Amino acid sequence: MTAHVDLNGACTLATSSAAHVTLLDPVARFSLRAGDGERAALSKALGITLPGKIGQCARDDSVEILCLGQDEWMILAPKDQSVKIKAACEGIYGDAPHSLTEISDREVAIQITGDKATDLITIGCPRDPDMLPVGEARRTIFDGVSAILWRDGKDEYRLDLWRSFAPHVISLLKTGCSELAAE
Amino acid sequence: MTTYRVPGRGRVLHNRPVSFTFDGTTYQGLEGDTVASALIANGVQLMGRSFKYHRPRGPIAAGSEEPNALIGTRRGKGRFEPNTRATVQEIWDGLETNSQNKYPSLKFDIGAINDRAYMLFSAGFYYKTFMWPRSFWDKYYEPFIRAAAGLGVSPTEPDPDNYASRYLHTDVLIVGAGPAGLASARAAATAGLRVTLVDENSEPGGTLLSEPQAQIDGKPAWDWLSAELDALIDLGIRIMTRTTAIGYYHQNMIGLCQKLTDHLENPAEGAPRERMWRVRAKQVILAQGALEKPLVFDGNDRPGVMLAGSAQTYLNRYGVRVGDTAVIVTSHDSAWYAAFDLASAGTKIAAIVDTRPTPNADLVKEADARGITVLAGYTATGTSGRLRIKSVRVNKVENGKVLGAQTIACDSLLISGGWTPTLHLFSHTKGSLKWDDETQTFLPDRITEDCQIAGAGRGLWGISAAINDGAAMGAAAADALGKSVTAQTISVEDDRPGTGESHTELPTDGDPGRAKAFVDYQNDVTAKDLRLAVREGMRSIEHVKRYTTNGMATDQGKMSNINGLNIAADALGKKQPEVGLTTFRPPYTPTSFGAFAGYHKGEHFEVTRKTPIDSWAEENGAVFEPVSLWRRAWYFPKDGEDMDAAVRRECRETRKSLGMFDASTLGKIEVVGPDAVEFMNRMYTNPWTKLAPGRTRYGLLLGDDGYIRDDGVIGRLTDDRFHITTTTGGAARVLNMMEDYLQTEWPDLKVWLTSTTEQWSTIALNGPNARKLIEPFVEGLDLSDAAFPHMSIAECTVAGFPARLFRVSFTGELGFEINVPSRHGRELWEILFEAGQQYDICPYGTETMHVLRAEKGFIIVGQDTDGTVTPYDAGAGWAIGKNKTDFVGMRALKRPDLTADGRKQLVGLLTEDGVSKLEEGAQIVLDPNQPIPMKMVGHVTSSYHSDAVGRPIALALIEGGHGKTGETVYIPMPDKTIKATITSTTFYDPEGARLKL
Repeated sequence: MTAHVDLNGACTLATSSAAHVTLLDPVARFSLRAGDGERAALSKALGITLPGKIGQCARDDSVEILCLGQDEWMILAPKDQSVKIKAACEGIYGDAPHSLTEISDREVAIQITGDKATDLITIGCPRDPDMLPVGEARRTIFDGVSAILWRDGKDEYRLDLWRSFAPHVISLLKTGCSELAAE
Repeated sequence: MTTYRVPGRGRVLHNRPVSFTFDGTTYQGLEGDTVASALIANGVQLMGRSFKYHRPRGPIAAGSEEPNALIGTRRGKGRFEPNTRATVQEIWDGLETNSQNKYPSLKFDIGAINDRAYMLFSAGFYYKTFMWPRSFWDKYYEPFIRAAAGLGVSPTEPDPDNYASRYLHTDVLIVGAGPAGLASARAAATAGLRVTLVDENSEPGGTLLSEPQAQIDGKPAWDWLSAELDALIDLGIRIMTRTTAIGYYHQNMIGLCQKLTDHLENPAEGAPRERMWRVRAKQVILAQGALEKPLVFDGNDRPGVMLAGSAQTYLNRYGVRVGDTAVIVTSHDSAWYAAFDLASAGTKIAAIVDTRPTPNADLVKEADARGITVLAGYTATGTSGRLRIKSVRVNKVENGKVLGAQTIACDSLLISGGWTPTLHLFSHTKGSLKWDDETQTFLPDRITEDCQIAGAGRGLWGISAAINDGAAMGAAAADALGKSVTAQTISVEDDRPGTGESHTELPTDGDPGRAKAFVDYQNDVTAKDLRLAVREGMRSIEHVKRYTTNGMATDQGKMSNINGLNIAADALGKKQPEVGLTTFRPPYTPTSFGAFAGYHKGEHFEVTRKTPIDSWAEENGAVFEPVSLWRRAWYFPKDGEDMDAAVRRECRETRKSLGMFDASTLGKIEVVGPDAVEFMNRMYTNPWTKLAPGRTRYGLLLGDDGYIRDDGVIGRLTDDRFHITTTTGGAARVLNMMEDYLQTEWPDLKVWLTSTTEQWSTIALNGPNARKLIEPFVEGLDLSDAAFPHMSIAECTVAGFPARLFRVSFTGELGFEINVPSRHGRELWEILFEAGQQYDICPYGTETMHVLRAEKGFIIVGQDTDGTVTPYDAGAGWAIGKNKTDFVGMRALKRPDLTADGRKQLVGLLTEDGVSKLEEGAQIVLDPNQPIPMKMVGHVTSSYHSDAVGRPIALALIEGGHGKTGETVYIPMPDKTIKATITSTTFYDPEGARLKL
């Protein structure tokens, strides 16, 4: 039985000489869906050009937009920008129909850093970390659980997980964190 | 230390003695020893009893292919493992080992009676011996076979060890770190590729560990090896020892099992015992080498009989002479070198017996110089010695005639029938093999994966040939990946190339029908068994294998397959390729269940999804039940209540005043876009066009076969935005089905779907006081019945949290479902629970939810439907939009089968006695007095005690049920037949008055 984990605020989940696993504070998240024809209008409304290649990420000081599919983007922003983003998209809905759906509470984010952060990722993720450039992200799986894996630095990753699956992944990350330290 | 240990010899550490036990006796070995090498050093060759005949056996090999020396090992409490190969297990201080398949002792074993009765245990004896009388099967034969099956004893304690796993991506994976593997690793790494080199042994080197005499690039083999390993590590190559490539799967996915702690006296606390690597390699180089074949003759299995190459390994790698007086019987040059090495180390070589009339002249010269008797053109026809070989009987063969015998005394008999390329992993890829007449073996032919085979694995012999082939294959792998590298030529001196001949069983002057000439040591299959199988009609090697069990033991016939094939082909008078070759399957060597399970045990066995409110339920004593991957609160027992009492109380209190229920697991999908309503019309049976924003509707989803797939209440938030709810278990399936239609059938629709299941925490409040409870907390919404009637939806705030509020009821009571962002779920629950005390608020679980809905006749998809129920069958025809021109499943609903009379239809059942509760799943008949088998007309789908109705209620699917209201049916049970009356499915408040509050 997967153990309970409080997912509502940032905290250290596991730390060792090998890696640090941290639960990040919640942010505003939206799933944005739109066809080719609406991309330009949405980019303009949001003030960031929607990336066109799956896995690519566009960002300004506070907002990150990740392309997850040919018609799908994930928008991450500080909580206080939530209203602005909704309004910007709503304002052009008539001319550029799309779907903007808030999923801030659907997912939680876990940060993995440290010398062996990459090794820790390989405990659950079947992708080749060498093929994930810094600054990009991929929709993938971690120990059988659907996840978005971000590479924020050479030894810095983020995992976005659906809330109820997170404790399972956290449990493995904890195991791996100490396993790697003991090597 | 005994006389069998050669001081200063081998790679063991002579100054590091290690004590371990075997069958309770303490022995001393050296660091670097295996159990087998340490026991041999102590003069112990007897290590086990054979599977069928309980014959005394010792190690015949020195590596993972060992079929005989299978032992039990104990590494402390709970850490017992049967069938460990003594030739692989490294020793450490305190290791406990024991022999298997013996009673009362290894030296005197009652089961050896089977050996005397061996004529009873011929090929297919299972099918013959246990045929008659039939009545003996259950009581005698089957228990006997089960007791006799398998070697060793299964562990009884839970395994306390941890197991790990990892993924690895590499450009080139090389399996086998012998000369070929090492050279290919360097070539590929020089080309700048990511290279991984694995070997099942405790150290890399392969053949080089057994042939230190060779000079490579002018250096002694071991010096070269040590320098080369340093160089490879500097090149960034990942080298993994004790790591077996167990399986080669599609698209260059290779499974590696790495043993991490079995060789350690004091492994770190909690350190994983084994790690499964799932490797994706762009190129694979198989450099697995070759395995030596035994010769097949009477008595070729006594302790002390060993493969010559293995004896050479024991001497050169472990510093152990296998005996004082050895005889070599061989058909291959390689065994001569083993004889010379042993002679140099002080073992008397009583004779080299070669089956070939004219062996290599240089070798004969060397033997002569050493004063070793050479018997060329001879056969071996028998051995003597009970617990260890005492002598071997050899005969001259002339013109196919076996002449008179001579007996040579010995304590070791070293045999070699040549070498078989190790192609197990290649075989996993379904790469094809072709028979090579010259070497009398199969070689790799058509390659289907991105892989190369190097060295002895493709029939090359000698270090020079293997090492240079390895370099070439490493370069070939690099070339395939677009990198250019020139393979270096590596010079090798003092190499031992050689050739040999292949045999079936050796010719004998005795009765071949009585010879115990073993082909498969682990399964005790003899040459005569194979010939008998052919005589009894087996024609394909696959049939011969299954009939005799040759090659079916855990060693997968590493030694026996090719000898078995040669003998079967000879018996059939055909060439080997016409008889065929059995397929090797993963794993290459036996692999622990723990390695496959990895991290998935205990708390981490499987994902358990929990809602944000789950922790409250746990703290408040809920009993849980699994629902798909979720666990849900089932009921909340108060002091001493059993489930029945708790559920009845929860039902009563909810209907009387107020109940609260965690409905967060319900699937939720947000449908957004200008074509949202068109999409809804096409997916669901119901009409959606006229549903106004702010209103909800019960939606029914069918498959294209017209059967009910899912249901749920759906709210329209705005013209272009719907909030769908699905069943808990159906959430992912429904979203997939919708995406499937959207992407393949209706890509023109401007509508998008987003799973919001986990965005919202959902609290359902039901009961006459539901509105009173939430009214003070709701802002921005008039909750009165007039302003917010049944089946409404609105966005508002509840206790300050942004919320989507449904007025909806799955109980028949006044009901609301509050959706708040998940992070607030538990907090809101606690606020409402606190405020609800004035109404005696009752938290209830899924069981009460089931009872309350059944009292109203609301179906549960998957319980009251089984994938063959249409909306009409379920009495939900009202949910189909009469004027709709299309929806998924509409066309199927017009099929004759689906409109025919006599379909099973959902009805209510009340038992006539008013007290019997029917069993869910129970079959229903119309006439209980008809002869068995009775005509069954349906079954019970839901059944509960109902305090609200005052008696048990049930739902059932019954043929033509809708036309049978008021009729009597019967439910035959083991102890009695229950009489019941067909009723409407709505048992409680049929007018729906309780909703109108």
